Amino acid sequence: MQENFVEFNNVYKRYKMGEVTINAANGVSFSINEGEFAVVVGLSGAGKTTVLNILGGIDSCDEGKIIVGGKDISHLNSKELASYRRYDIGFVFQFYNLIPNLTAKENVELATQICRDHMDASAALDSVGLHDRKNNFPAQLSGGEQQRVSIARALAKKPKLLLCDEPTGALDYSTGKNILKLLQTKCKEDGMTVVLITHNSAITPMADRVISMRSGKVISNVVNEAPIPIEKIEW
Amino acid sequence: MKALTKNIFREIKHSKSRFLSIFAIIALSTGFFSGIKSSSPSMITTSYDYLQKNNLMDIRIVSTAGFDDDDIRAIKNMDETVDILAGYCSDLIVTDNNIDSVVRVYSLPEKTDTADKLINETILVEGRYPSADGECVIDSYYFRSKGMKLGHKIRFNEQTDNIKTKEFIKQLEYKVVGVIDTPLYLTYQRGNTTVGDGKISFYIMLQPDQFITERYTNAYVTTKASELYYDSFSDEYKNEIKKEKDDFQKLSDERIDVFRNTTLADAKKELSDAEAEFNEKKKEAEDTISDGEKELYDGQQEMADKLSEGIKKLNDGEKELADGKEQLEEGKKKYNDGIEEGKAKLTEGQAKYDEGLAQYNKGKLQFDTEISKAQSQLDKAQGEFDTQYKLFYETTKPQAETKLNLLRSAIELCNSIIEETERKINDFELITGSDTELTALYDKLDEYKSKVNEYAKQYDSGMDQLEEGEKKLNDAKAQLEEANKAFEQKKAEGMAQLNDAKIQLDSAKSQLETGKLEYDTALVQGMLELQQAENKLTEGEKELEKGKEELLTEKASAMLKMKSAREKLAAGKAEARTQLADAEAKLADARENISNLDDARWIIFDRTDNTGFSGLIEDALRVDKVAAVLPVFFLLIAALVCLTTMTRMVEERRTEIGTLKALGYSNFKIISKYLIYSALASVSGSIAGAVIGISSLPFIIVDTYSMLYTLPPTILSIDYQSFIFSAATGILCTCVVSVITCMGELKQNPASLMRPKAPKPGKRILLEYITPLWAVFNFITKVTFRNLFRYKSRLLMTVIGIAGCTALIIGGLGLKDSLSVIAPLQYDELTVYDEIYSLKSGGTVQEKAYLMSKFHADKRFAETALVDQNNISIQNTQNEKKFNYYYIVASDINDFEKFFHLRDRVTHEKKTLTDNGIIISERISQLIGAGKGEKAIINIDDTPYTVDITDIAENYAGNYICMTPAYYEKITGKTNKYHIVYTQLTEDGKQNEKAIADEWMEDDDILTVFLLKEQLEGIISTLDSLNIIVFVVVLCAAMLAMVVLYNLTNINISERIREIATIKVLGFYDLETASYIYRENIFLTVAGALAGLPLGTLFISFIIDALQMEIIMFPKYVTIMSYLIGFALTVVFSLFVNFIMFFRMKKVSMVESLKSIE
Repeated sequence: MQENFVEFNNVYKRYKMGEVTINAANGVSFSINEGEFAVVVGLSGAGKTTVLNILGGIDSCDEGKIIVGGKDISHLNSKELASYRRYDIGFVFQFYNLIPNLTAKENVELATQICRDHMDASAALDSVGLHDRKNNFPAQLSGGEQQRVSIARALAKKPKLLLCDEPTGALDYSTGKNILKLLQTKCKEDGMTVVLITHNSAITPMADRVISMRSGKVISNVVNEAPIPIEKIEW
Repeated sequence: MKALTKNIFREIKHSKSRFLSIFAIIALSTGFFSGIKSSSPSMITTSYDYLQKNNLMDIRIVSTAGFDDDDIRAIKNMDETVDILAGYCSDLIVTDNNIDSVVRVYSLPEKTDTADKLINETILVEGRYPSADGECVIDSYYFRSKGMKLGHKIRFNEQTDNIKTKEFIKQLEYKVVGVIDTPLYLTYQRGNTTVGDGKISFYIMLQPDQFITERYTNAYVTTKASELYYDSFSDEYKNEIKKEKDDFQKLSDERIDVFRNTTLADAKKELSDAEAEFNEKKKEAEDTISDGEKELYDGQQEMADKLSEGIKKLNDGEKELADGKEQLEEGKKKYNDGIEEGKAKLTEGQAKYDEGLAQYNKGKLQFDTEISKAQSQLDKAQGEFDTQYKLFYETTKPQAETKLNLLRSAIELCNSIIEETERKINDFELITGSDTELTALYDKLDEYKSKVNEYAKQYDSGMDQLEEGEKKLNDAKAQLEEANKAFEQKKAEGMAQLNDAKIQLDSAKSQLETGKLEYDTALVQGMLELQQAENKLTEGEKELEKGKEELLTEKASAMLKMKSAREKLAAGKAEARTQLADAEAKLADARENISNLDDARWIIFDRTDNTGFSGLIEDALRVDKVAAVLPVFFLLIAALVCLTTMTRMVEERRTEIGTLKALGYSNFKIISKYLIYSALASVSGSIAGAVIGISSLPFIIVDTYSMLYTLPPTILSIDYQSFIFSAATGILCTCVVSVITCMGELKQNPASLMRPKAPKPGKRILLEYITPLWAVFNFITKVTFRNLFRYKSRLLMTVIGIAGCTALIIGGLGLKDSLSVIAPLQYDELTVYDEIYSLKSGGTVQEKAYLMSKFHADKRFAETALVDQNNISIQNTQNEKKFNYYYIVASDINDFEKFFHLRDRVTHEKKTLTDNGIIISERISQLIGAGKGEKAIINIDDTPYTVDITDIAENYAGNYICMTPAYYEKITGKTNKYHIVYTQLTEDGKQNEKAIADEWMEDDDILTVFLLKEQLEGIISTLDSLNIIVFVVVLCAAMLAMVVLYNLTNINISERIREIATIKVLGFYDLETASYIYRENIFLTVAGALAGLPLGTLFISFIIDALQMEIIMFPKYVTIMSYLIGFALTVVFSLFVNFIMFFRMKKVSMVESLKSIE
């Protein structure tokens, strides 16, 4: 397992709103090891989404260095970023972002068809426990099921890094828990590095590493030596 | 500002592209519609204003006999007349660079006393009006097109078709001092004329005083009609004018009667007087000529006589001279001879004299000698004699006498023997003795006998000799005495002779002397005389020479005189003849004029008889017809797009609506936002569109038509109705749609509204059930198809919108196709001819046949056909509207079919004329609403005949009714008057089309010739004017296509921004992302464009139906090319829009994907 698989080194991201400059990331530095289940927590506006966007290649930083799997992604152009997203990143959205016009399987295929090394779409869906719903359209699926499809879509690409943006935000408690369980399992069983953003600090005990942010800065980066399985966590 | 109001403006700010697309599409459609719709009225207003301002006459009267002041006064006194302008006009020829051009020369309008406004007022474009003799103002169009300068001189030919220019106007040359426009000409076509090549090139105007013609040629009248009705295109005006024309017609009859009884009668009398005078003059002239001829002949004769006399004299002189010369020569010779002779004579004389002298001297000497000799001789002779004498008488005589005596005795003895012998003989004989003795006796006898003879003789001789001696002595004595005497005498004689000789010599000497003197005198005198004679001769020669010369000069001068006299006579003769011929021609002209004047009439025109005027109206109406069709279609598409856009917008703002509703805003308030939004977009759009459209399109269109017409700057006449209609359609569509959509949303409760509207659920599409096909598709194609059919309404909207644009483009192009195909279709396939000759009316069948044979003989014509062709009107049996067309009756059906290819438009099946009815052009059939097998009524010479339509034939321009001569005769009971010859030229002939026409025009039997080529030019220019409309249509359709495509693509993208962001996050590259969307767009575009093809066909047929004119049927013909272009242009526009959208898509932030669904 690689140490410092993900490394943020004094990363800045500034948004100009008229005359005011907002430092969404104000010298963020942290590192995550390969195979870790990392949770970034913080209040709204703490800069955690910014960090996730930069890490996911959706956004770029203004300053600093980001290394993922030994590759510096801080100076990639948009095309290289697209390739990076394509091959290295799996993204799980808060609102699933499934294409409503495609069936579950097709949504997964949408991701796999652009990847050279990918899982079979059915297998990916099987692995998230959706054996029977493969040919259903998103509208025919429940939220949890949709999120599973979303996860399957992310995992099918065999990414180096799985990024989850409040994956339970739109789900009810137990469904959310199931999703988290799925993610934890994927991390533990497949050795997938997972970075999860949440404002819900209650779930931090399940993480291998907890990075707390406030006002665009990392205020703590704690390694949890003994993560607790999600089933045991109540909130 | 209330929060809600702020919200509206912020909404606009945030959705600029949506607002702008509504704005643009409304602007485009309103602008196009109201702009095009305003073009026609603007055109009419502009031209009408021009005519009104320049006080164009309402009625123009032309009299074939001209008007006098009484006529003008009579017209003026008509109730209808407001004002009248009498003017002159004539067509003259100008030859420039060997090219004849016909110039129409007008008099400039003059002020009349009744109105202060000039009729047909001209507009001075440049320079000034003429103020002096020899100045003119010229047609501005011609001036410009020829790049002329002021000061240019126009020089008329002295003659125009037998009529002297100076009979019309004062001068031959006019200087251009100004450039004008006149309301008489609205187009740049200057019309036709009967002189020259029949086409007027340009006009000039002169001050009226430049015209010499006594009678006015034109009367321009402004009437109550234009005072009553401003719009001279209106039916009211037309009706009024029609009434007025009738009244003027009545007046014309009266005036023509007056004319016949006065002026014409006078003219006739004048003519007969002139004729009488002419005849008299002619006779006089002929007499003069014959006198002159006689005189000339006499003169000639006289001259010849004189000349021959002179020559004779000269010859005589010459001969005389030669004689003289000869004489002189002779004289000279004589003189010389005389001299010579004289000289010789003299010399001879001298010699003679000298000889004489010498002879004398010799003679004298001889004489003297002779005398002395003679003396001595004489003396000697005396002595001799004396001796002789003594001898003879002393000796000789006595001797001789002794001898003689002896002889006598011998003779006597012999005689005695003889006698004895003789007796013996006698005796013997008697005794018969022997013969020998007898013979011996005879011999003895003979011997003695001869001896006797001889003795006798000797005696005689002796005797003689004695006697002779004696005598000789006596003789000698006599001789001596005589010699003495002769001597004496001779001496005396010689002495006398000598003396005589001496005297003679002396006289000869003196004579010689005198001769010498005389000779000398004669020598000098002869010389002198000769000199004189020579002198005289030289003089004579000189004189002769002179005489000769004189004769020659005289002859030459006489010849010259004769020649000049002859020439003078010839010239005089020729002149007299020309004058006579002129006079005769003039008389003939006058006679013809008068005979023409006999059927003098007034021709009354109104404004519509002006080609420009009616052309303008037709053009305006055509624009209006296109305007009526196209923009409506345009508007429909616009409305469709607005509808889609607003629906989309309201749906997007669902949460907001819910929130507002939850906050307690009334439905009205909530709706008002969208209403205001859409109203703002559509109202501002329609206003902006109208402003732009109305301020550009009419100008573009009218200005382009102004290239065909002389019109002042366009006066805008806004068609408010259409503006209101189009604006209202646009505004209503957008507003009503937003209201309805909002209402639909508002029916739900706020809570459900605030919940994100579940995205439209994905669904299996029909295509998926066709498993084999679906399996073939790759994933992206499947996605595309599923997406396509996800929003069926949008699909439909897009396809319809794009199809509409394609149809519009095809419509525009197809219109052009249809127009451009008319000429080739009509004149290459249907009616094939090159030149039409119309023959002078009248003429017998034989004459016609002769003329036709001439046509046949001209090898430049490939085919000819003689037909009867005339204008008639046709209507259906329900007696509805009459339409004017011409009928064609061919003298020979076979010939006819070579020119008129009657066929079915669709099947091209050949139609054949029968004796059972007529075949009419398709357009006629459409207009009268009667088809094959039905009946129609045709009016020939105001008599209606019911005819059977046996067939309908394809035809576009120059529609006609054709029938066989038999049918014509059957229905009318009359025979045809064939007078039109259709011709087709050979390939060679086509090169010289004009030349052939000109040549034939020389023929007195040919009235006019009509070249297809020239007609085609006219048709083409008419159709070209429609191209402007086509261009505008295509341009607007293109713009519309752009806006529609932009709008629809825009909606498509904004609807799917989240989707786009998501796939971007998934790692789709920009192009992949774009193609994910574009596949749909491309599919929609192609589908739309494809759907547009049949729609285009439909659309064209719609436009063309609207455009159809009475005289021309527009074929519904669209080239494949136009379809291709329509299709391609749409695709290109779509690609262009997508290209623009690519950047927008690129800008879509992936962060969007993280946002919650609103």
